[in-house]
Amino acid sequence: MNPVLRWFHQLGSPPVFDRFARRWAPWAFGLGLLTMAVGLYGALFVVPADYQQGDSFRILYIHVPSAWMSLAVFGAMAIYAAIAMVWRIKLCEILAMACAPIGAAFTVVTLATGSIWGRPMWGTWWDWDPRLTTELILLFLYLGVIGLYGAIEDKRTAARAAGLLAIVGVVLLPVIRYSVVWWDSLHQGQTIRVFGESSIDGSMLWPLLWMVVGTKFWFVGSLLARARADNLRREAGKDWVRALVAPSGARA
Amino acid sequence: MSYIEYVVAAYAVFAAVLAWDFVAPRIRIAQLLRAVRLVASRRAAAAAVVDDTAELSR
Repeated sequence: MNPVLRWFHQLGSPPVFDRFARRWAPWAFGLGLLTMAVGLYGALFVVPADYQQGDSFRILYIHVPSAWMSLAVFGAMAIYAAIAMVWRIKLCEILAMACAPIGAAFTVVTLATGSIWGRPMWGTWWDWDPRLTTELILLFLYLGVIGLYGAIEDKRTAARAAGLLAIVGVVLLPVIRYSVVWWDSLHQGQTIRVFGESSIDGSMLWPLLWMVVGTKFWFVGSLLARARADNLRREAGKDWVRALVAPSGARA
Repeated sequence: MSYIEYVVAAYAVFAAVLAWDFVAPRIRIAQLLRAVRLVASRRAAAAAVVDDTAELSR
């Protein structure tokens, strides 16, 4: 068998995944913190204030990466849920369910920072604008997935039910993405483009890229840590977990 | 205008949520391992009691 394919199959084993997550989660968190520290330094101390919005535009450096993560994490959750549903891979169920609280956290950051930014710029904390409303619905979907997973006692059945909600919820992602194009919106249109020229000035763009990369590393770290916790909970009665807490191998 | 108080508030929210995201799974893992350790120690204690009884009956 191809070594990469064999490694991937082995990773599906709970004790192997536990070792993998325990080893790599701190690295991902560390890289995330380091990358975000560079981005935040640039955002707060290097980039000049905006000529119209003053310093308030600096909220962009946490608002935009969080908003992108709120969509990307939901997409990842749906992909894991679909794989788990088709091939019955337990680890993918665990990963899908571990995505939900992380995505919900990024959505809360997006809504809160957007609201804080909106107060001085729009004169209001909240408006039932298409972008804001669809992002709020995304938060409710995340909470629905978390709630459904927590409500059903058998975790395999719970993961399938919550995974189905995640898969169906994916239809919301393009609606959020294009809400500023399809409807008249108080929220500003797209200024940063992956393909094509961004309308944000180049001198203001680089900290954003660091933050985007940093939040990705953070997500990987958090996903591994949360998936490890769920994996341990499901496997609590097994010998390999007891071996972890034995005096010679006790590690948190 | 600087709007610095809004910037501070937004970054505080970001830091607080990320701190929770970092700490929450660690607390959960520690709780789980503590529970497993407790069960293991209770089983070991129960096994020791059974051994004592067996010794006394002889």
